[in-house]
Amino acid sequence: MLLFSRIRSFALTDQKGRRAKLKDLAVGQLDCDYPQVTHLLFRHRRDHLECLPWRAVESIDLPTRQIKVKDIEASEVVPLEWRKKRVILGDIQDALILDLEHNRAARANDILLKEEDGKLLLSKVDTGLNAILRRISIGLYNRISDSTLHDWKQIEFLQGNPQAVKSGPSYQRQITQLPAGEISSLSSQLPYLHAAELLMLLPDPIAINTLEAMTKRRQLQVFEELDEERALCLLKIMAPDVAADLLGRVQTETMLRYLKLLPKVQSDRIVELLQYPEDTVGGIMTNDIVIAPMKLTVAEAREKLRERLKEPDFVYLIFVVENTKTKKQRGVIPLRDLITCDDEKTLEEIMDTRVPVLDAIKPADSAAHQVIESQLAALPVVAPGGKLLGAVTVDAAVLQVAPQSWGSQAPRIFS
Amino acid sequence: MSQEITQQDAKDLEGGEQLALPTRPRDLRSNLRVTIRGRSVRLRGIRRIPPGILGWLLVLGPGLIATSAGNDAGGIATYSSAGAKYGYDLIWVMVLITVSLAVVQEMCARLGAATGRGLLDLIRERFGVGWALFAVVVILVANGGVTISEFVGIGAAMELIGISKNIAIPLTAIFLWYLVVYGSYPNVEKIFLAMTIVFFAYPIAAFMGHPNWRDVAHGAFIPKLSWDSDYIFIVVGLMGTTITPYMQLFQQSSLVEKGVARRHYGPERVDAYFGSIFSNLMSIFMIIATAATLYVIRPRDIETAADAARALEPVVGSAASTLFGIGLLGASLLAGAVLPLATSFAICEAFGLPKGVSLDFRRARVFFGLFTALIVVGAAVALIPNIPLIQLLLWVQVLNGALLPIILIFILLLVNDRLIVGDLKNTRFYNVLGWGTFALITTAVVIMLGGQLLEHFGIHLFGG
Repeated sequence: MLLFSRIRSFALTDQKGRRAKLKDLAVGQLDCDYPQVTHLLFRHRRDHLECLPWRAVESIDLPTRQIKVKDIEASEVVPLEWRKKRVILGDIQDALILDLEHNRAARANDILLKEEDGKLLLSKVDTGLNAILRRISIGLYNRISDSTLHDWKQIEFLQGNPQAVKSGPSYQRQITQLPAGEISSLSSQLPYLHAAELLMLLPDPIAINTLEAMTKRRQLQVFEELDEERALCLLKIMAPDVAADLLGRVQTETMLRYLKLLPKVQSDRIVELLQYPEDTVGGIMTNDIVIAPMKLTVAEAREKLRERLKEPDFVYLIFVVENTKTKKQRGVIPLRDLITCDDEKTLEEIMDTRVPVLDAIKPADSAAHQVIESQLAALPVVAPGGKLLGAVTVDAAVLQVAPQSWGSQAPRIFS
Repeated sequence: MSQEITQQDAKDLEGGEQLALPTRPRDLRSNLRVTIRGRSVRLRGIRRIPPGILGWLLVLGPGLIATSAGNDAGGIATYSSAGAKYGYDLIWVMVLITVSLAVVQEMCARLGAATGRGLLDLIRERFGVGWALFAVVVILVANGGVTISEFVGIGAAMELIGISKNIAIPLTAIFLWYLVVYGSYPNVEKIFLAMTIVFFAYPIAAFMGHPNWRDVAHGAFIPKLSWDSDYIFIVVGLMGTTITPYMQLFQQSSLVEKGVARRHYGPERVDAYFGSIFSNLMSIFMIIATAATLYVIRPRDIETAADAARALEPVVGSAASTLFGIGLLGASLLAGAVLPLATSFAICEAFGLPKGVSLDFRRARVFFGLFTALIVVGAAVALIPNIPLIQLLLWVQVLNGALLPIILIFILLLVNDRLIVGDLKNTRFYNVLGWGTFALITTAVVIMLGGQLLEHFGIHLFGG
């Protein structure tokens, strides 16, 4: 094993006896278990940083602290664009990293490299105090503790720049295999720019769940750092109540721009929710619910709802209305009943009509208690004329009455 | 709007159905009327800082606490000494330092908002482990010194109330340690903060002492320079206690903790500015009150906490000692708990070590070790018999003043790095003020240290 902090102080020498001071090492792609060192970066005669490919290395002489290469003069000046596409080990050293094995953010106090078939591979990261002592003791202290060494396979390196995901080098992306709650918990240990970069790495559905699991403050910080294209993409498939909550906190100009860019259906849903103050029933309800007219038979409803049931977050209750024109609330049917009931029966016959309804402008707290006490997955929210506006789910109700500190950790069952 | 299952209803939606909103009770006020896709709607669910004075008041917090924390045991000793010995002559330093403090605190707040990271964390990543270690040592020495001064303050306050410091200091050290590690510190913090309300008596005392306001104004705006070693010592002490390194750490970390993002940073400036002005106004009132009660009788050195408490006599009469003791105790307890905690946290952050009171000792040995060591050393030094109390407090502030330029360089380099702060980079105006502050403090420190060094070689640079 070679320590990067040691190698960095080595000299480059060539067959003609020329010497240069090694500055750094570059790796190409991070999307593999152990990325390979591709270039040596150094300064020789020119003002600019120069590089030589790793294949130019003939041997590494540890006692004399030298890396022997064929010809130092064969180097090239490192262009800025070249650097953007690669990761420099000097950037990883001292940076924040995600230790996925222990689910924590740590600092790369040193990097360990291993030689394999003539290649130099990025193998481990040392996050312990020993690494710091080694570095500041100028070779007097050499202890390496296995307990603070972490396999690179389990490390996600973030640069603290959300835009780097699009334009920069590749990522390990092991993080995408974790559940959204764990990713969110990990991201809470990171500065917000790192958290935004992390979100940019995730596929849309995981990104949305991760964002939802964050505290509202962190949600806003992270969301505002996403580029417009990605933010819009997430808003399109996000539950309208979550999207409304988020857009209600961003700057007015940003909110209006997104509302104009979003598909009309989603934009209208969000606008409707934004019309209610956050401490009212309307402020905690969702309007992404499944509605069916009461005259439909169970078979017709099943057929018509098949596609619809794939979309919304909340599918556990079917809200039965008089007809789709007036949308007057009449009752609810649990999804289980819809699946198990006889095909010929109408929804009117099987629906539960004794469900209490909520007023959209009443205080959210008392409504939340009402939802929890009802033992139902959700209660419908109606306008004074009886028109169905949406529903308050038990998840939203629990979040409303739970202590604020509990917020993002609250289990979400129905949404 | 719920999504319907029939085509007809889908058409309705596409046509932009006017959303029905139930009649609202009058107490729900409208928030923002906007036009979206040609339709005018009133949005009440948006959450943002309201415009006007209310909006400014809502952002007050970290800056006010960070700068007010400067008015602790060391601060009170330094301001009281300045007033008792030099009357109103040193108020100009406070006026000048108010601008500097505001600029430095604002830069730290900006660093916090732009990066979401603490000061030592940024130093580590930008300058590497060597410089980070150097900064850590500086912070450790500066904050360690202030922690000692807090325990000295606790001892002095207890003695004013009539409890021996030999009993009070060890018990308080154990109490603070237990409170932070196992207790509910945030709740007790409010009690400590409430105890410091006593110091609001200083502005009243300043007015009731009937100072000559013309002299006060003269002292505030016409700098009086004196080539006197004690004078320069107090000037550096004033700078050190007013712009203390832990204030910068605290300001930046608080902004990070508050979750302020760079796009919402604008209003937060007010907090940094207001906190600096408010806290220094209180400090100036301390100088005026002490000058109006002690200096006018006879210019003198403040020797004990009881001397400093006499400045409150015009307001509270014979209760001055007790009330001063309560205030001093609150301020010292507050800083005595926060300072070791914040220092340990920042150092572990810089080295990427496990940190936080929620962890156990095994997982965060360095964090808890540092925290415990700071409290133990602070309490032990404060227990040394016959320690020259006020002189020790003054020396700690001078030490802070001497170390401040080092931290200022880091702050100025970081806040000028576009790769780190992006568009929130310092403007030229801020750089002039920032580097001006650095030059001012460095000059004062160099003159003081140079003078004292030359004294050892028999060369007398200063009079007095």
